[in-house]
Amino acid sequence: MMRYLIATLPILLLISAQAWADIVVVVHPQSELKNLTKQQVIDIYMGRLQISADGGKIVPYDQPQDSEIRAAFYQNLTEKPVASVNAYWARLLFTGRASPPRQPSDSMSIVDIVAESLYAIGYIDEKDLDDRVSVVFKAMNNE
Amino acid sequence: MRRLTLSLLICSFILFCTAETKAQEPKGPRFRLSGFGTLDVTSAGTKQVGYHNEFSHAGQFGGVSIFSGSVAGLQLDADLLPKLSVTVQGIVKERAKQDLFNFLDWAFLRYQLTPNTVIRAGRMGMDLYMLSEYRNVGFAYLWAHPVVEFYMPISFSHFDGFDAKYSHRIGPGFLEFKVYGGQVGSDIVVSRGDFSLRERPFFGANVSLETDHWKFRMTYATAEVHSARNQQFRQLLNALNHVPASLWPQAAEISDHISAEGKQTGYYSAGVAYEKNAWVVQSEFSWFDSKWPSVNGTNGYLSVGHRFGPVTAYSIGSYAKSLDSPLHFNPDPSTPEGVAQLQQQTQLAFNRTLVDQNTFSLGARWDLNHQTALKAQWDHTWVRKDGGGLLILKESLDQDITLDTFSVNLNFIFK
Repeated sequence: MMRYLIATLPILLLISAQAWADIVVVVHPQSELKNLTKQQVIDIYMGRLQISADGGKIVPYDQPQDSEIRAAFYQNLTEKPVASVNAYWARLLFTGRASPPRQPSDSMSIVDIVAESLYAIGYIDEKDLDDRVSVVFKAMNNE
Repeated sequence: MRRLTLSLLICSFILFCTAETKAQEPKGPRFRLSGFGTLDVTSAGTKQVGYHNEFSHAGQFGGVSIFSGSVAGLQLDADLLPKLSVTVQGIVKERAKQDLFNFLDWAFLRYQLTPNTVIRAGRMGMDLYMLSEYRNVGFAYLWAHPVVEFYMPISFSHFDGFDAKYSHRIGPGFLEFKVYGGQVGSDIVVSRGDFSLRERPFFGANVSLETDHWKFRMTYATAEVHSARNQQFRQLLNALNHVPASLWPQAAEISDHISAEGKQTGYYSAGVAYEKNAWVVQSEFSWFDSKWPSVNGTNGYLSVGHRFGPVTAYSIGSYAKSLDSPLHFNPDPSTPEGVAQLQQQTQLAFNRTLVDQNTFSLGARWDLNHQTALKAQWDHTWVRKDGGGLLILKESLDQDITLDTFSVNLNFIFK
């Protein structure tokens, strides 16, 4: 029994790694935000970096609150569970420091929104990528 | 002429604010309404000793109450211009005095001066400690209520004035420097009745460094008591000031010692927090350096939590201690009866304001979903003789006591 468990362990690890290996952060192709580091993505999604180099207000978009991709994205970025991130955003919101990342309306995807705005930024599953947006960071990229 | 100047100033300000407006910013709501609340049930206090975890609350003398920790808040944020926004927050909770002055917790204008600098003016949350600005938002912190020994002595939840914050990334950390100034006020309940406190000028500075898992912060602030209104206290000071020096030579000196008005307090604090994966650790210490002996003191806590899936279990150790000694008069047989009575009253009134207690707490937070959390906490508190200043005492505390407090609450936000 133990042999089977040990044998399947690498496969399980591969699957768990694959679950969030293909999350990509996307922006408008003409956006000032290019080749972001992990730290810059953290700063944007944790409300610390709100203004881009050219003075525009960066507007981050989030995936649905209870979605797996959101939990995986924040765990990978911050090494904190999503419950901790939710409490963190409540602190920022109710101290008037920043508004949490927006949720897209039902009729629009994050790609639709980012494709229309120079200052929007979002994260998506790589399989949903199309040529209307540019990738500036991969969740597995440890730069 | 004055109106013309004012109009020009307003026009210049709007032009200045809009100068860097970008044409292709995403469309989004200009008004955002959000809110938070806590439905709390607390069992605390005894028939003689009233519990409250904020000075603005009336005492709870035993039994179960829904008022000790329940709170509801509503916040409106509006983007007036690309870099100018307004925030208004109203809070409904148990208070000694219910009026618009206290209900309106915040109302401020926020202007993004540069990408790194934000200035605000109006009524804003006090930012002395880690939780000070969001102590009413239960969902935003781990415990069932802010640590009594540490957060209760600051009875002010907001100040009227301005602040300016500069933030900058340095290496792995995010540095924030903030200065603020204005005036503060609160209407609170203490053992000798309702107490109205106003302090000005109030000013201070914070510096904090936040990395991915650590946060360090230090604060210095100072305020001068402008008025401290309490009927019993006023009568006592008047009586002390009218005692003939031949009967009690130290009476005027004692009146000056225990009085509040005109006295300056310096607030020094340092805090550290660590959060990574399963561990959540936070500790803060502060020192109130004041000539007002009821305030002069030190306090601190250490909180350690561990996550088990959606549940975080935690324990807290905390203390608060006045740095001034209690008054003890020993009238001899030759002391006139009136003076002996006044000495007794002074001793009782003053010693009830001193604090000497510590608490051990155990609790758990269960995150039910992305906007709701259930919390439960048990506090076991040791209060030493003449150290019950954080309690409402029907009689003076002439021996050490222990108290147990149980709190269960449901915390939620909407946005």
